[in-house]
Amino acid sequence: MIKVKDLIFQYDKGGEQIVKGISTEIRDGMHVGIIGPTGCGKTTFVRHLNGLLTPTAGEVWVDGMHTADPVAVLKIRPRVGMVFQNPDNQIVGMTVEEDVAFGPGNLALPPIEIARRVQESLAMVGMEKQSKRSPHILSNGEKQLVAIAGVLAMKPRHIILDEPTTYLDPSARERVLHVVNRLHKEGITIVHVTHDMNEIARADRIIVLYEGRIAMEGTPSQVFGHVERLQDLGVGIPKIAEILWSLRETGLDVRTDIFSVEEACKEISSLITSQQKFH
Amino acid sequence: MYTGQYIPGNSLIHRLDPRVKIGAAIALSILTLRGGAFTESFLSAFLIALIPCSGLSAYQMGRAFKPVLVFFALLFFVHLLFTQGKPIPPFPPWRVTVTYEGLYRGAFTTWQFALLICNASILTMTTLSTDLVNGIERLLRPLRRIGVPSYDIAMMVSIALRFVPTFLEEIDRIKTAHIARGTTFGSGPLLRRILAAKSLLLPLVLRTMHRADDLVVAMEARAYQRGPRTYLKELSITWPDYAAMTVIAGIICLHMLWP
Repeated sequence: MIKVKDLIFQYDKGGEQIVKGISTEIRDGMHVGIIGPTGCGKTTFVRHLNGLLTPTAGEVWVDGMHTADPVAVLKIRPRVGMVFQNPDNQIVGMTVEEDVAFGPGNLALPPIEIARRVQESLAMVGMEKQSKRSPHILSNGEKQLVAIAGVLAMKPRHIILDEPTTYLDPSARERVLHVVNRLHKEGITIVHVTHDMNEIARADRIIVLYEGRIAMEGTPSQVFGHVERLQDLGVGIPKIAEILWSLRETGLDVRTDIFSVEEACKEISSLITSQQKFH
Repeated sequence: MYTGQYIPGNSLIHRLDPRVKIGAAIALSILTLRGGAFTESFLSAFLIALIPCSGLSAYQMGRAFKPVLVFFALLFFVHLLFTQGKPIPPFPPWRVTVTYEGLYRGAFTTWQFALLICNASILTMTTLSTDLVNGIERLLRPLRRIGVPSYDIAMMVSIALRFVPTFLEEIDRIKTAHIARGTTFGSGPLLRRILAAKSLLLPLVLRTMHRADDLVVAMEARAYQRGPRTYLKELSITWPDYAAMTVIAGIICLHMLWP
């Protein structure tokens, strides 16, 4: 479990506070989406969750360990994997397999164990065939999968995704999200920062950040129910919800707390049949 | 494709431990620089025999020499023209004095450098850069006692190598952006070409700094810290390595006996 208590952060003393008091709890195995306009402190906030940044005030606890403790932080890093936005700037190895081996190598695991983890992790993201390749010839989507494999090789319990699909084309995005969903099903906590509301429409919980504070928090239907408030905060809602809201505005009686294509289809088709009966 | 780039293969030389190959290359280079005509002839024969043993073709080896030909010519002529000694009777239209000693020294030095290039090319063409870095790290490890940070050096070298293709792409991208705005590269007077290159460099440096920032964060997130780490591939010395070491030791003895 990741526990954040009254987190305040500023880069320089007397400078502007980037995070202005956040408290929350992320339970094991949850899928949490974090959204908010650019500059709201999303990245700064999530970088506290694995001790990359330490709070100016307040506390962050990961599985009972304090992130400000320099000894504990070495145990926290492998537990909380992090995938970044730019796929090029997080690959260290000269070959795919060596990049995946970077994390376990840092943990000074024996080579046999590293080899096993490299193989397993690459298989989990479906990149085992590219293991000997040089990363620069991969597509952005494949690089991002390698980055995820690199995180998995440390056997994390929580994974933080900081806008990992920004540089990806739609099909690569699907591939990455598919892998993320599978990891979530296997019990790994997912904290997913994104600008794309569709990606987190099925999250367990959504946190909306605005100017360094939590502006809204709740299940997708709770959060996306407040369309106007979200617009004020500078974030949108998932496309599906947008369609249903538009239908509702024309006077049709549809549910608006639906975020999957299948459910929306059912809702709309039942609406059509009921209308036909009415005529 | 650049000079001395790794050529995949499974030859005897490919399979040798990188430490042995690095050691052998260094030993042979020192012999090349110290040796007289006999040693050079022997080394030439040895290296030429080594080319097919490394699964390389004469063409591939020849390509390695292409970028250094100008340097060789320069080396040769400097020795030819500036060595004192017994003059060779000049051809009628020539005003310069050329000596027998100059001719010999020019040819000999060029020969030595050709052997060095051949030697280094065999090493880099048969060894993956990751194995080279691993090998260097291992060879430097004993020096950790006197404060040589072998792990950090290996990390630095491998990151530098990893980002070479990324930088090439980056330069290409910046160039395209310039061309789209009307700059021309590779034409016009030399001064203008140099100035154009400068305008590529600045954005490249800035982007690289930005990249380095990102990379540091990503490495820390993956539990990187200074100090001992382990690798996917552990190096091990097997019987072909012992055989190779024996051969190199033999060559050194030979040089001692007949320099």
